[in-house]
Amino acid sequence: MKKIFPAVAITFITGFTSCHKASQSPGDTDDQPVTEQQVLTDFTNNVALSSYLKLSIAAASLNTAIQTLDNTPTDDNLQAARNDWKSMREIWEQSEGFLFGPVEDNDYDPNMDTWPTDYTQMDSLLASSNPLEVSDIQNLTLSLRGYHPIEYIIFGDHGSRKAADITARQKKYMISLSADLTNTCNALYLSWSSAPVNFAQQVITAGTGSSKYTTRQDIFMALAGGMIDICDEVGGGKMKEPYNAKDPQLVESPYSGNSLIDFKNNIIGAQNVYLGVNGGKGIKDIVAAKNKALDNKLQGLFTAAINSFDGITVTYEQAILSQRVQSQQTMDAVIALKESLESDLVPFIQQNIKD
Amino acid sequence: MKKYIITGVLFIMVFSFSMCHKTGVFDSDDYDDRLSGGAATVFDATSKAFTHSVNGLSTRDQHVHDLGDGAFEQTFVAAGAVRFGGLGPVFNNVSCISCHHNDGKGTPTAGFATSSLLFRLSLPGVDEHGGPVAVPGYGLQLQDQALFGVACEAKVNITYTDVPVTYPDGSTVMLRKPAYILSDQYTPMPANYLLSPRLAPPVFGVGLLENVPEEEILSFVDNKDINGDGITGKANYIYNPYTQKTELGRFGLKANTSTIQLQVATAYQQDMGVTSYVQPKESVYGQTQDDKKTDDPELPDSILNAVTFYVKTLAVPARRNTTDPDVKRGEVLFNQINCSGCHRPTLQTGVNVTLAQISNQRIHPYTDLLVHDMGAGLADNRPDFLAGGSEWRTMPLWGIGLFDKTNGIPYYLHDGRARTLEEAILWHDGEAKNARQQFMQLSKADRDRIIKFLQSL
Repeated sequence: MKKIFPAVAITFITGFTSCHKASQSPGDTDDQPVTEQQVLTDFTNNVALSSYLKLSIAAASLNTAIQTLDNTPTDDNLQAARNDWKSMREIWEQSEGFLFGPVEDNDYDPNMDTWPTDYTQMDSLLASSNPLEVSDIQNLTLSLRGYHPIEYIIFGDHGSRKAADITARQKKYMISLSADLTNTCNALYLSWSSAPVNFAQQVITAGTGSSKYTTRQDIFMALAGGMIDICDEVGGGKMKEPYNAKDPQLVESPYSGNSLIDFKNNIIGAQNVYLGVNGGKGIKDIVAAKNKALDNKLQGLFTAAINSFDGITVTYEQAILSQRVQSQQTMDAVIALKESLESDLVPFIQQNIKD
Repeated sequence: MKKYIITGVLFIMVFSFSMCHKTGVFDSDDYDDRLSGGAATVFDATSKAFTHSVNGLSTRDQHVHDLGDGAFEQTFVAAGAVRFGGLGPVFNNVSCISCHHNDGKGTPTAGFATSSLLFRLSLPGVDEHGGPVAVPGYGLQLQDQALFGVACEAKVNITYTDVPVTYPDGSTVMLRKPAYILSDQYTPMPANYLLSPRLAPPVFGVGLLENVPEEEILSFVDNKDINGDGITGKANYIYNPYTQKTELGRFGLKANTSTIQLQVATAYQQDMGVTSYVQPKESVYGQTQDDKKTDDPELPDSILNAVTFYVKTLAVPARRNTTDPDVKRGEVLFNQINCSGCHRPTLQTGVNVTLAQISNQRIHPYTDLLVHDMGAGLADNRPDFLAGGSEWRTMPLWGIGLFDKTNGIPYYLHDGRARTLEEAILWHDGEAKNARQQFMQLSKADRDRIIKFLQSL
């Protein structure tokens, strides 16, 4: 409760500062312009904290579903676990729209989302009598942990796995994997929400006492950088590499056939940072107040990139062979967005967010 | 008529002065001192500051850079996989990025997925090429992780002891000195082994450093300390097993590697157990963990070349706050107390016809690429070719002010023992003793200015 007071005070102070600035800007007709502080606060609460909390809850849910599957190995329970896996992926992939802070500093990303899975080592592990408790899982190499080994077991090749086919050791492995995943997600959430790291405070107090972001421009550049990076990773990496090599084995979530949904959620995650969610303010509010044309352009590029995924009607593993035109169009749309974020939004931030 | 003559004379004067100006060399004031990497500089101060390619690559070069970027981040898995196989059997980590966090430094722990510290091993003496002597059963590097079912070579337990340092003004700083104890050796190790910790260094800007002419580096050597500043400096000449020649070492924390290609290939081989055409033998060659597979080289030639090109074309982040009065004063003090005697602010790269961005550039890496005696406190007591047991290569300081961004928690020095720039300075001894003593005699305000200057790099 105590923390609210300085936050309110900061909002007041920055509110006045921003008003002063905005009144000097001839293009601005809004009486109460959205402050940089408000965008940071809304990003922190509505986008970052909210995503990581949902991720923690989704991980616990997946763990419960896998335990249920272990107790009662029916195909319905298998389907429930698959659904939970996909729900969790949606939240995670969207959170990749802002891959900075503890998620990268503490390697939570590779802990959860290393690819590819090491099937050779997995076979050895499952064939052995090595214990598979959570503490054992934590000592395994990253390519035996996280989303993708779970995906491999619950979906199987092209989604062909039946509940009855899953061995006792596979189940034990999955229960511990999903518990390990839950631990990682909880740690990620706590690193934003609580001491000692309390990264939420680092973002909210950017330029007003934050040790990580000594100026507001720093954090806005980090937000822009996060959006640019994920566009580059999708358009220039995750889609492009298998496309260029015409190699379905290079596609990231092949067992669930979820790759395209993953990619699309990545870009939606970046859009969430730009627009804000749940009524909160986003970077767009600052851009639109000063340069409506730029805001229109960026929003248009986000929409075009996100919608372009719907032009691909088969899984991405198939699309790189059979729908190359559509695949290329999607990559082009994502890269067009990335280039505009780099060449339009970054200079806008440098020119307009000076404190 | 007079008017024409005056105009004519004025024109000739202006023209001749412009000509003079053009043909002359710029004053140092005429360069933008933010451009640490010359044309290979990038303006980004976020956590991704070390990850950008130099500007203006051709489409083809950008394609190769991007391929290398993907491979640098790629996790490797056990041999037998259709893609990205060849990890191990023993290794230190599973991808380049696992240690070189955001293309920068990492965390000084060993044996975990998040670890960036590795240990070189040897026995006293020199081998047939003047290099360190391999430890039977272990080689020249300790691999502290292994594939499932395989014995890693050993585990390393790290402990720290507090070492207080007191300034003449009475204020105290607590340093920490690491100690390393091996356990779980898979096979007995001779008692007289030598161990050297190495924290993964940042990888950007190395294309520029590779392009600094050898004679420029050698010109910094002052064997007999003729200028009397206590700094001599030594070039480390090493054996390159690929070219089978003795070459000037530039890379690695003891300058024990001559080229980026050798650095990358040796990291794949020793750190990850992935063989290539440059380093075709498994790190466990001749050891009991050897899988005896005939799949070497495991890394496609094109990938080794792409990763080499990737690091060669990583840009240097621009300086920040260069006009801040404290930063400017800190820079003057940095030079006055002769930190710049080894951390040389300005080098000039040679001509490189294949890559304009690194060719003939005035750069500010703050290194002389030589090895120097750094005193007993930092010594690993493990010689590496000509670099002695207390000698380390001058760490380039460009980008050092961004470590807290790129790494979350910053660590400094070869083993990551220093948690702040101040701690790192206070460890300096040997040839850097004079500079450190002068730093300690400065007022707190001036010491802070030097730190602020370093943070602007």
